Amino acid sequence: MLPSLEELSAWLPDLLSGLSISLQVTALSLLIGIPFGLLLALGVLAKSRLTKILALFLVEVGRGAPALVLLQFIYFGLPTTGLTLGSFTAAVIALAWNTGAYTSEIIRASLQSIPHGQREAAVAIGLNRLDALRYVLLPQGLRVALPALLAFSILIFQGTSLCFTIALPELVSRAYEIGSNTFRYFPALLAAGVLYASISIPAALVVSHVEKRAGSYAQR
Amino acid sequence: MDGAVLHLGSGKPRMSRDNASAANGVASADERARKPLIKLDKLSKHYGNHTVLDGVDLEVMPGEVLAIIGPSGSGKSTLLRCINYLEPPDGGHVTIGDISLNAAAPAGRSELSTLRRSVGMVFQSFNLFPHMTVLRNVSLAQERVLGRSRRSADERSMQLLSRVGLADKAQQFPGRCSGGQQQRIAIARALALDPDVMLFDEPTSALDPELGLEVLAVMRELAETGMTMIVVTHEMSFAENVSDTVMIMADGKIIEKGPSADVMRNPQEERTKRFLRAVHDR
Repeated sequence: MLPSLEELSAWLPDLLSGLSISLQVTALSLLIGIPFGLLLALGVLAKSRLTKILALFLVEVGRGAPALVLLQFIYFGLPTTGLTLGSFTAAVIALAWNTGAYTSEIIRASLQSIPHGQREAAVAIGLNRLDALRYVLLPQGLRVALPALLAFSILIFQGTSLCFTIALPELVSRAYEIGSNTFRYFPALLAAGVLYASISIPAALVVSHVEKRAGSYAQR
Repeated sequence: MDGAVLHLGSGKPRMSRDNASAANGVASADERARKPLIKLDKLSKHYGNHTVLDGVDLEVMPGEVLAIIGPSGSGKSTLLRCINYLEPPDGGHVTIGDISLNAAAPAGRSELSTLRRSVGMVFQSFNLFPHMTVLRNVSLAQERVLGRSRRSADERSMQLLSRVGLADKAQQFPGRCSGGQQQRIAIARALALDPDVMLFDEPTSALDPELGLEVLAVMRELAETGMTMIVVTHEMSFAENVSDTVMIMADGKIIEKGPSADVMRNPQEERTKRFLRAVHDR
């Protein structure tokens, strides 16, 4: 059942390059998705009806549709409209959308958790709306949101495994490939699983550490 | 707590009433002081069917210290918040110096910004920004609103913090300061824009009597510098000893307004008598 040491050393280069792709997709999805989530959160909270409806639409589709469906839609569905994307690009777009939709709710809730007096004080000292957001509300809101955003980042990292359905050579695809070449599916997937865990578990420990520290302004 | 405040108030040295009125007498002799700095015309505010402000008319002269007292829900805080448009009034006019806003028309951004620059506000719950040092709290608006450099803003902030006796706290975070210190920092923050008038919304209500006292001392000093102040308060000693004018509100209306000694010691209206009796019986 377990992969032998020779097998492991033979597979490891492939698996690691798959892991590297998984990490790249994760990083790009988060780098694009979290700022997108911030924009969506502000859109949902906006006074303008049109902005609000548009933001709500993007959030609800991004959250309502499983990440797998978004992936399939963008990779297989969009070409019918004439837009063909590589599997890497399609993966980043789908997961960034998914990230944006979920993190927008995390960020919106965090912004709304800030006592109303903070906004009032910002307005009363004459800050305009953008400055109130930039200097007063966002720094506090993002601090509240940080643990949840990090926890979500781990989920997205694991979610990149879905990209094997659109032929992206990430970690699961590589493990499958090894399996179909050697008929050693289980040991190959087990090795991939250990690699996922070797990132996710330390990351989860970091999250719980951040969680304990978040919100303690006075201790800096 | 109110009982303790009263006791404290009666034990307080009675220096400033006479000083303040003397200073005010000089100020009102001044020509420019004849024109009110703040003028409210028929100011009204409703929440649904509930009328919070029922056509309030009010004039406040430059250098005047006005205390607003009255039962909870009488519209005192709402009146204060309508003056700087934290709550836009539904009807009437707000005039502060050269700025005049008509509640019937939507207020423009530049008008609101000018209004808020000339009005400083101090809240019951301080509302300092917890993620910034005390110094940044005071400097932020100077940089962003007045366009001062970080250096000159910080310099001014240090002056203001010294004035409220907290220069040594500049690099601390607000969470490390006592409630009284936080409120004094909030006063420095509001003063940082060099406002024409300072609004205080129950500035000592969240503080125990001892800490409230240090805030009241700062407010008293501020009054003596000739700052125009409107103070919503339950501190009867402040109303009687520091303010020039006292106004009693109930049900969104002004019940009685006059020189503080007259109103506090010899109220004319039955509603005022009832309120003051209730306060003194505590």
